[in-house]
Amino acid sequence: MRTNEGAARGPATSVRRHTLAFVVAWLAATALAFWIVSGTEFNPPGGSAEAAIIDEAFRFLALLAVPVFTFVLVGLAYSVVVFRRSGPPGDDPRPLPEPRGVALGWIVVTSALAIFVIVNPGLTGMAALGWFEDRRPDLVVRVEGQQWSWNITYDGYGVTVPKATELVLPRDRRVRFIVTSKDVIHSLWIPAFRVKIDAVPGIETTADATPNRLGSFDADPLYRLQCAELCGTGHARMTARVRVVEQAEFERQMASLRAEAGR
Amino acid sequence: MIRGLAGALAGYAVGAALVAAIRALTGVDPLAAEPLVVAGFPFALIGWLLGVGVWQAWAREWVGLDARPAAPPGWRRYFAYSTDHKVIGVQYLVTFTVIFLLAGLSALLLRVELAAPGQAILPPATYNQVMSLHGILMIAVAVSVIIAGFGNYLVPLLIGAEDMAFPRLNALSYWLIPPVALLLLTSTVLGGWDSGWTGYAPLSERNRVGQIFFNLSFILVGLSSIIGGLNFLVTIIRLRAPGMTWGRLPIFVWGIFLTSLMSAVFTQSVAVAMLLTLLDRVFGTGFFAAARGGSPLLYENLFWFYSHPAVYVMIIPGWVLALEVLPHFARRALFAYRWAVGGLAGVVALSGVVWIHHMFTSGVPFVFLPVFLATTELISIPTGVIFLSALGTLWLGRLWLRTPMLFAIAVFFNFLIGGITGIFLADVPTDVQLQDTYFVVAHFHYTIVGGEIFGLFAGIYYWFPKITGRMYDERLGQLHFWWMFIAFNLTFFPMFGLGLAGMNRRIADYDAALANTNLFVSIASFALGASFLVFLWNVIVSWTRGPMAQANPWRARTLEWQTSSPPPLENFPVPPTVVAGPYEYGTGRAHAVLGGAAGGDD
Repeated sequence: MRTNEGAARGPATSVRRHTLAFVVAWLAATALAFWIVSGTEFNPPGGSAEAAIIDEAFRFLALLAVPVFTFVLVGLAYSVVVFRRSGPPGDDPRPLPEPRGVALGWIVVTSALAIFVIVNPGLTGMAALGWFEDRRPDLVVRVEGQQWSWNITYDGYGVTVPKATELVLPRDRRVRFIVTSKDVIHSLWIPAFRVKIDAVPGIETTADATPNRLGSFDADPLYRLQCAELCGTGHARMTARVRVVEQAEFERQMASLRAEAGR
Repeated sequence: MIRGLAGALAGYAVGAALVAAIRALTGVDPLAAEPLVVAGFPFALIGWLLGVGVWQAWAREWVGLDARPAAPPGWRRYFAYSTDHKVIGVQYLVTFTVIFLLAGLSALLLRVELAAPGQAILPPATYNQVMSLHGILMIAVAVSVIIAGFGNYLVPLLIGAEDMAFPRLNALSYWLIPPVALLLLTSTVLGGWDSGWTGYAPLSERNRVGQIFFNLSFILVGLSSIIGGLNFLVTIIRLRAPGMTWGRLPIFVWGIFLTSLMSAVFTQSVAVAMLLTLLDRVFGTGFFAAARGGSPLLYENLFWFYSHPAVYVMIIPGWVLALEVLPHFARRALFAYRWAVGGLAGVVALSGVVWIHHMFTSGVPFVFLPVFLATTELISIPTGVIFLSALGTLWLGRLWLRTPMLFAIAVFFNFLIGGITGIFLADVPTDVQLQDTYFVVAHFHYTIVGGEIFGLFAGIYYWFPKITGRMYDERLGQLHFWWMFIAFNLTFFPMFGLGLAGMNRRIADYDAALANTNLFVSIASFALGASFLVFLWNVIVSWTRGPMAQANPWRARTLEWQTSSPPPLENFPVPPTVVAGPYEYGTGRAHAVLGGAAGGDD
């Protein structure tokens, strides 16, 4: 097809040279980014068994994203730096033929990645959180949202705290939050536990969390029960402090709350 | 426009009087505000449309009179009812650019409040109203600005047509927009609404009267969007020039076609949600009120069934605008053109089955979670093809880095960050923590501002000489680019960290531990805002006093550059015939010839 052997070989070698340089730059950038990502603590310290699983999923996704991110980034940067021309275009070069199989190969690789993250950490993460099985909770806490406070009932203790300023939980117990709302949609969120579920009027929603670290709002502002769904004027301040204590202390707290309510 | 306002007032009076009379006859308070507003609104809308030009230019025919389309000369045509697609395109572009800047100013108000913990200038109720206003104005801009602005101006040019298929409908869809601005302004005067751009029921059924203006204006934007979408579909199917086969369509036209398909199919759903909310408020129905047997989750489903496809209605025009710019400034064909079209179609196909990823923590039945996790992650496959096309086009090209090219390349850098962080939000376990935090705020600003709005500016600079007939100042253009690019990243990248550190979105106040990052973000946001002063200065000075532009300053091949700048009424001196693909640089073959000399092959 080509009339001039030399001209045909020229572009081909320069394509190989650019490709090689790109791959080297990509690998270097990937190594650097892996080093940065593996040294970065993305999430603040968690306070529940679930937090460990969710933070691990986040870290895994971040590492998986590195080669994809650097591939596109280096591709853009390399092109801008190496292929830029200073002036307006002169005569356009003959078009290069599109290499065969590149698009198909690209789709195969990206599909494999997409299916991989669906399975892990997507489905495996949900399995680790115990969402595919019927785990029995150790404690049921009923939470009702209203504009702009939380009403908390500790099931089995006969304790209900309207407009609670504090949520007390025992350590190492699987807590099931059964959540609803009196007026508009709210959302129960305890950042330290990585647990979030909406409080919807008319239905009950559930979410589980297993606090595994003693802690309190005063020491760590992530120990708070916060509304995460826009609910009107007081939304930003619709919070309650969260305190995780040992089981014995929890029993004492329940007794004193019961006594307070009885008075 | 004065006549339009008068028509609106007259219409409103008729509608409101009608309702007041009916209510008085049935013995309920005749002057309750909400029923009067809601019932008066459709009449006011009809009055506005008739007054603004529909009567003169169109509706007179309905009663056997001659239509008298007004055609004021010069710049005044941009303020009048016109059926010329180029005038309408400019009307849309200018209107939405102004709204974009106003909505940006409202964001700066929010950033002043958030610069330090505690209350600075906005009490919480006002904060929520300004945040809601910022949200809906930006959503309206994002849904419409490229498709309605550049789509209108360029689709007929790019396919070699004289105008859109339905020019009157086109004018109608534009003139539905000023009432939206008027409604939202009225709402603000009356104390606004505080339920965000999402307007979740039942909050939106219990808050102040300002809410109904939001619902009405959302319906209007939707109506305009549906009409516009249908018009593009028919135009692109029916009015392509001889030889303009589907395989020779510029990628921008493909994008507008597929986007229009989504607008036409999904928008009804959100209009229903808005309408049912109004019925709940005004007539006491119980669609979304749990106490009356309704379901708040139904609202969320209806809302996101449209509003997720809507984000593709926003981003696909941004992608294809960037993809359209790349080949002309890389001097080579768009890489993997057919695969890119397939990628766009894949995104459109999947867009309708992912909406529950907005609701992973909403209390939907558990079975939806793994299913929508999977469908959502799958969208990254067709999205990846768009990146392949962009990278392949740049690779081994001869890059001419003028302002439009810089913005177009930045689209792919910004969307890379927006897209990858989307994976974290689609994976249910990580989303449980990230949902409703600043991580989400950062993610969607990276996709929509970083993707679509950067694409918009690529388009503004690219087609500025075509639309105005004058050249913009290249140095100011590049200054605007670098300033906006750096300030944008400084503003929004730290928000990922804020979200991870436990800052939830839509809050007027936050924990003191986050003070430093928030102050940094606020300062950066002002730098971002200031970058648009450079843009405004460049546009205003260049439009009035810039050097005259050539017909084809970029030496581009597509059809809009084969006619004068700006193009004459009905676009081409003689109808063009398309003889080759749009991006065949270096082959020596033209994309199209004016006149039918080469003969069509259809």
